[in-house]
Amino acid sequence: MHTFTETWQRSFPTATSGSHLFAEFEERARAAAAEVFRCATLTEAREALLRLVEGAGVTKAVVVESPLQLAAGVTEALRARGVEVYTAPAEIAEHAPTADIGISGVEFGVAETGSVFQEGYAIATRLVTILPPLHVVFLPSANIVPDVPQAFEIIAKNFDRGYLGFITGPSRTGDIERVLTIGVHGPGRFAIIACDEAPQGGTR
Amino acid sequence: MKAEKRKLRKEISEKLKDKTLRGALGRFAEVYPEARAAAYANAGDVETLREAVKQMKIATVGQIEAVADRFEAAATKRGVQVFRAEDGESAKAYLLKLCKETGVERIVKSKSMASEEIHLNPYLEAAGITVTETDLGEWIVALAHERPSHMVIPAIHMNRHQVAEHFSKELKKEIPPDIAVMVQVARKELREKFLQADMGISGANFLIAENGAVGLVTNEGNARMVTTLPRIQVAIVGYEKLIPTIKDAATILKVLPRNATCQLMTSYTTMVSGPTPAMVKRDGKWVEEQKEMHVILLDNGRLRAAKDERFREIFQCVRCASCLNVCPVYTLIGGHVYGHIYAGGIGAILTAFLHGMEEFAQFHELCIGCRRCTTICPGKIDIPGLIEELRVRKVKDKGLPFLLKQTFENVIANRKLFHSLLRLAARGQKPFQEGKLIRHLPLFFAGLAKDRSLPAIAEEPLRDRVAKVKRKIANPDKRVAFFGGCTMDFVFPETGESVFKVLQDLNIEVLYPEGQSCCGKPVLAMGDEETMKRIARENIKALEEANPDAIVSACPTCTESLQHYRELLKDDPEWGPKAAAMAKKVREFCSLVAEEYEKHGRLKKKAGGLRVTYHDSCHMKRVLGIDKEPRQLLEAAGCELVEMKDADKCCGMSGIFGVKYAELSMPILSQKIANIEETGAEIAACACSGCMVQIQGGLDKKLPGVKMKHVADILAEKIGEKKIA
Ligand code: SF4
Repeated sequence: MHTFTETWQRSFPTATSGSHLFAEFEERARAAAAEVFRCATLTEAREALLRLVEGAGVTKAVVVESPLQLAAGVTEALRARGVEVYTAPAEIAEHAPTADIGISGVEFGVAETGSVFQEGYAIATRLVTILPPLHVVFLPSANIVPDVPQAFEIIAKNFDRGYLGFITGPSRTGDIERVLTIGVHGPGRFAIIACDEAPQGGTR
Repeated sequence: MKAEKRKLRKEISEKLKDKTLRGALGRFAEVYPEARAAAYANAGDVETLREAVKQMKIATVGQIEAVADRFEAAATKRGVQVFRAEDGESAKAYLLKLCKETGVERIVKSKSMASEEIHLNPYLEAAGITVTETDLGEWIVALAHERPSHMVIPAIHMNRHQVAEHFSKELKKEIPPDIAVMVQVARKELREKFLQADMGISGANFLIAENGAVGLVTNEGNARMVTTLPRIQVAIVGYEKLIPTIKDAATILKVLPRNATCQLMTSYTTMVSGPTPAMVKRDGKWVEEQKEMHVILLDNGRLRAAKDERFREIFQCVRCASCLNVCPVYTLIGGHVYGHIYAGGIGAILTAFLHGMEEFAQFHELCIGCRRCTTICPGKIDIPGLIEELRVRKVKDKGLPFLLKQTFENVIANRKLFHSLLRLAARGQKPFQEGKLIRHLPLFFAGLAKDRSLPAIAEEPLRDRVAKVKRKIANPDKRVAFFGGCTMDFVFPETGESVFKVLQDLNIEVLYPEGQSCCGKPVLAMGDEETMKRIARENIKALEEANPDAIVSACPTCTESLQHYRELLKDDPEWGPKAAAMAKKVREFCSLVAEEYEKHGRLKKKAGGLRVTYHDSCHMKRVLGIDKEPRQLLEAAGCELVEMKDADKCCGMSGIFGVKYAELSMPILSQKIANIEETGAEIAACACSGCMVQIQGGLDKKLPGVKMKHVADILAEKIGEKKIA
């Protein structure tokens, strides 16, 4: 049925995409108030997360695992720090509203807009993404497409059904006096940990 | 639907007095154009992007039923229940039945204009269901028991203190007027509602026929909550949001965030195809269950518009609201005055289709036809053109008010009578201050100066001066017929003389056909196409009599009207071809003169002249597309050209509007005068007699040191100097 995660990589436009677009992606993501950490290795990526967790005083985390997180050993590291970590859907449903952080993986980034693309058919992914005040995503730094139309080249070939889309910075509003205010309904902080080292068994 | 008779003037004057509203809208209008331009900096060619939206939407509306069928089939195949609602009543009935059958008590909503259009909330609340708007702006407006005043920023008319008051009242505790604090209060309050809701209702920014997906473009994250948390998901969406393919969404996403909120992409851009899982608590345990998903496709007048050759254009709207942000009238008074949830010019058009002509009739005059919206609308909708067409239809259907009809048919279409009235006005002006009939004449404003000096009707109109200024030219390069138009003929005859001088100096013979009359624009502006046709035939006859090489007007509105005769008379077997032949000859003064100057090597920048700033008349720039030539001519005349801010923003005249709605026209004019003052120019130039009336009036009262001049006057003076030297 929902096969996006299994098939999308075949449509990744390797000719036009890649880490050479990362600088542009990073600039635009920052402009949209996202925090960006580019890491050369899996270890560094794990360290980056731990620093974030420490800085934010996180005691409870809800996590949906992605290959990058698994390879970096993020979840164990969190537990070793004494953070309560929930990964099963029922636990996530129970704890996401009170968790300090949500952690998940995203498929690719878009240089033009600084957005990340996430397939979120699984309810756990969506809960982790939207409920906690801080959302951290793991992104393979080679997975950057140049622009929105290129992103849709991938989407159009693989989107049969499901729930997917772009996240660009934290939740925001300008509804009172048009003053930009961060963190209305969704996370007030949005961080991207981008890793150059691929998990064992290939990039992406 | 019977329209409620409104007191529009009273509403307008209240809005004009609302300092919070004026301040907020004024500041927004100020920053919006640049912020939007910045958002497009990395998007490629804006015109190409807009054209792509337009073409995609045109192709879709041409087969809207088929696209809807495809959407329905694709969505149904994936487990969505699609309901096609003919009108608001059927949509509401469907929803209420659904709520009853599934035991829904609490609903959270993210923004859905379609649901506002059909007044969904009060209907459901009357049935005992709790409905909470979760978009912050919508929530504020709902707490205040008001309507949104902007399609994207619903509470733009309120300030933080007013919001704090509504919050305090609702939550029964003191909430400080601190924006960050209030946003956190909203987060907390609404979070509970999300978690408890049985049903989430959203709108959609697009619906993809290819795979039945609902597309949502939001910033706050509430739409993600609404589509994720409750066990039942409903989207209420108008047919205009349908797009054929997944890739077509990219076409929309290139422009929608950039135009709507000046962002490259909103925080959350989401597409949902088919029901997704939700977590539901059963017997104290969380279990995963497949959601129930419904899409209500709302017609409510849209499919009728889709079949209408002209009005199918409204399907090109992506509801970005940028047409409001640049509208000189909206940015003064906000959205409430437009009656329904769709504000501004596009609101007037949608209202005509969704709520009926009677509603439209109450406020269509608030579109002054400046066409600024047409330069930024991502769907390239000709909003003012459609409003004009609606006026024509309204008149065809309902006729004109008796007096107006009398004026148009018996006076304006009767040149001799019209002109003798104007001459009478020049002398006495007495009857003109009282006569009701006169109020509807072009130039009726003469002598009615209250808050701005309006020019008097000249004692000697241009037509009486022709003998004096016309030179016989032995071997003319060209023979042109000069169309003066009412204003130049009767108010600014000196400018008319300048036109003679400039053209004759180019070895062009100028004729001034006696039989010419008003171009007919004021009549068409009121929707009276029949009288306009009569006027058109008279003018064609007069102008073509001597078979000139070109027909020149130094007023862009008249130029446009003369060219429009072709379209107007296209079904007339006798006059259609004549109108078409004439349209080819019609030339705007500045562009013709610039061309001739170029030929003679005279279009060169010279120094040493006065400091001049140039005002782009709306019709000159956006209908005729002429903005470089007048500037080149000014520089060729030695002027030092200084650009004013918003040079191409309307001066607030717009024909009869400028006097009928003086309270709106004046603040628009004040802004123009301030922009002129800032340049430090000694002369404000323009190339339109309508703008001259307005700007001269404003300068006279507020900035008497600066003179208003037509480009023709400046050129003629230069020639005069040359001759003397
Ligand atoms: S008419 Fe054009 S500018 Fe106005 S809301 Fe629709 S798409 Fe936007």
